[in-house]
Amino acid sequence: MLARDQADQILTRVLDSGAEGDLIIDQGQALSLKAKDGELEEHKVTSSQVFGLRVIKNGRVGTAYSEAADPESLEALVHQALQNASYAAVEANEKILPNTAQLRTDDALLCPIDTVAIDAKIDLALEIEATLSAKPKVKNVPYNGVQDSMGERQLFSTAGLSAVSRARTTACFAYALLEDGESNAMEGRGQVSRQFAELKASSLVDSVYQNALDMLAGKEIASGRYDVIFDEEMLPSLFQVFGMMFSGKSAKDGVNPMRDRLGTKIADPRLTLRDNPLATSGFGYALFDDEGTPTQNLNLIEQGDLTSLIHNSMTGSHFGLESTGHGTRGPRSTLGVALHQLELLGGDADQAALTAGRTVLITDLTGMHSGANPISGEFSFGASGFLCEDGARVQAVRGITVAGNFYDMLRRVNLIGAEQHWNWERSALMPSIRFADVSISG
Amino acid sequence: MLDINTAESVIDHGLSLGADFAEVFVERSLTSAVNTLSSQVQSVESGIDFGIGLRLVFGAKVLYGYTNKTAVDELKRIMIELAAKDQRDPRLGLVAFDFSSPEERHPATQTLSIDADVESKVAYLLASDGAARAASNLISQTRGMCRQKEQHVEIFNSEGCHTRDVRNYIRATLTAIAADGQEQATGMWSDGGLLGWEIREHVDPKKTGDEAARQAVVNLGAKACPSGRMPVVIGNGFGGVIFHEACGHLLETTSVAKKASVFHDKMGEMIANEAVSAVDDGTMVNEWGSINIDDEGMETQRTQLIKEGRLTSFLVDRMGAEQTGFDRTGSGRRESYKYAPASRMRNTFIEAGDAEFDDMIGSIDRGIYAAQMGGGSVQPGTGEFNFAVTEGYYVEDGKIQYPVKAATLISTGPAVLKEISMVGRDFSLACGMCGSVSGAVPTSVGQATLKVDDILVGGQG
Repeated sequence: MLARDQADQILTRVLDSGAEGDLIIDQGQALSLKAKDGELEEHKVTSSQVFGLRVIKNGRVGTAYSEAADPESLEALVHQALQNASYAAVEANEKILPNTAQLRTDDALLCPIDTVAIDAKIDLALEIEATLSAKPKVKNVPYNGVQDSMGERQLFSTAGLSAVSRARTTACFAYALLEDGESNAMEGRGQVSRQFAELKASSLVDSVYQNALDMLAGKEIASGRYDVIFDEEMLPSLFQVFGMMFSGKSAKDGVNPMRDRLGTKIADPRLTLRDNPLATSGFGYALFDDEGTPTQNLNLIEQGDLTSLIHNSMTGSHFGLESTGHGTRGPRSTLGVALHQLELLGGDADQAALTAGRTVLITDLTGMHSGANPISGEFSFGASGFLCEDGARVQAVRGITVAGNFYDMLRRVNLIGAEQHWNWERSALMPSIRFADVSISG
Repeated sequence: MLDINTAESVIDHGLSLGADFAEVFVERSLTSAVNTLSSQVQSVESGIDFGIGLRLVFGAKVLYGYTNKTAVDELKRIMIELAAKDQRDPRLGLVAFDFSSPEERHPATQTLSIDADVESKVAYLLASDGAARAASNLISQTRGMCRQKEQHVEIFNSEGCHTRDVRNYIRATLTAIAADGQEQATGMWSDGGLLGWEIREHVDPKKTGDEAARQAVVNLGAKACPSGRMPVVIGNGFGGVIFHEACGHLLETTSVAKKASVFHDKMGEMIANEAVSAVDDGTMVNEWGSINIDDEGMETQRTQLIKEGRLTSFLVDRMGAEQTGFDRTGSGRRESYKYAPASRMRNTFIEAGDAEFDDMIGSIDRGIYAAQMGGGSVQPGTGEFNFAVTEGYYVEDGKIQYPVKAATLISTGPAVLKEISMVGRDFSLACGMCGSVSGAVPTSVGQATLKVDDILVGGQG
């Protein structure tokens, strides 16, 4: 049976019960290859589907999901969602939008046809492992791989919405373990693209090897307060960890520390940050959200002022606002909000000014899921990188911690670089920021 | 869950393609989540996970696929696609399955398939919320969560294994937020186990609310943590995450077989202070990380990892045994049918010692008492780890002085194991979720309060 027909049956049952609702059907296929000692170590082929139903009855919301698609399971899906709704408190702001749009993403852009044979993908996995393994001081390449996935999301509602989005992602990654006497270091990196042909083993291998080689000589530096620059990978990670500061959902729930700060100065006046879902070169590109609402470029911080939080229809309604096109819902989750792809506008500092004097360039942070408290802004992470003098890397640094309060740091920006860079996952476009007076322990 | 003739046909097909080993892993799980916020029900969610994982082994190579479909043709199609580059002369076909049902070590009565009992869970969470708010007028918000899962697994393999198991998981958590002006801080308390909602007979909502509120209020008044190298006393229970990260992951054959663990060639050697004996035990009744059988169908066991400082065992799954020569330890685990199994921890802990808490604190001139720990991570190849202190105190002149915030401890596994000089008597376990190559699996960590003589503390002070 076609997904559309299954959706019609499920949503008809929802309507018959006196409720309204929407249904997500996620389907996907994926390939994963890993190499070891010149041979393919793992070859994984998967196909999956899951149905996620949200119902609203008498102002109460219930959700349920099923990976099983037999009639009994889909019957149970409707029953469970309605039953779950009966326990929920009334949420007057959450509604199925009166949206009858028929939406579909552009396959040519997001899901291009890829006819590359499996042999070429295996060859790439083997090439990455073999090339890295052959380099001096490389003990092995314990983690590596080539991945190719295609996912499709179909969203249907009792109001008549039909939205289909499809996306292909192909990626490769490698982590090399280097040893030199008693010293060792392991570093890794990845590449991502929509087209397999755009993955380049040589650039991946070179960057992983150079990073690991640098870190072999890494050592601690004296504890103290330093000017710190987070590189193009780590700065987006920091904003991601503390992304709750922009969440309208967290504001509604009373846990967003910025919930009462709209219109006030929360950052250095040179800092302007926006969510930019309409940039086609990023992997967070999106024309509509998981409620079918059109997305928009949205300034979050404008010259240091907090100008907007992100909202879905429910959180927007709670605050008397419209959705900003940031509604997110998975088959297994309730309605929330999420950023698409952040863009930090470039500043006025050229590279020489940005790196003048002594700085610590942070190229890796560990423990980001456990060492940060988005409610207070406090963080303490393991870190590695380079001690730099006038931009020149004079010492590789590892075994240190960097600690502070992210929300305070936003007000202590020293310089903002002029040049923007995508991170390797192509989820954020940012220049470098030099933060003053950051605590480092070594 | 899967017709035995279908399983036999699929496994025979795998062997006909030349695989040395073929396995079918079937899973059907029921899930339920009750969430509260602002002293009312925020959401009730439920679902069905269902799928079949297929594993073929050709020498050292693992081919893995999964699907949500049960048709024999679909399962064979995946096998053919997997083996397209490895097909060779057929192996001998399956003789017959030898069904065995594991001993039920972890009884559960109020399971999800019997009754989700949402009303009772809501009552527990709201009582916890009320207790937290009553404990301090600084508590501005609470978030409660009760998750229950009933996982049915059925395993067939080409060695004749056919077995089934049911795992019942329950976990209830309350997070409290304390606020004072613009300052906010959090506290959290959690209970859980490998059993059903009958756990409510053993958990006290007042204790849950009081403890979450106490932590939040302590953290609200905390000062910046001093930084630098110093001795640290780490509290019992979830403090055991230090051993989990510093050592446990490095003893999994997933890392050992790749020589991506600093301990890969240290079997029989002293790798820790003599004060340290450590165990990974899947048999502990109704504990969160326990199992009856692992996800390869092997009965679980208690594995002595370190005895008085000496490395005595790795955690070994089927592929790990093939690659390292060590015996399997019933440690092949996976989050779901979506993952091939890998060697993973179960209930992992440092055994109790005989040191007194006051003696540990009293021996410190300048250091930290890390009463509660958060999560962490490790890089097995170098042993470098980090983990967060969620409730900490500055210690000076042998006395606890004041609470500190935002601290991280970092070191390497080999280094910290040799710095554990005192282990107390107050052993306890705590629940956690461990993420690794085969997904997120329930694991317990544990220890008595212990002292690390020298470790790098990262703070703002």
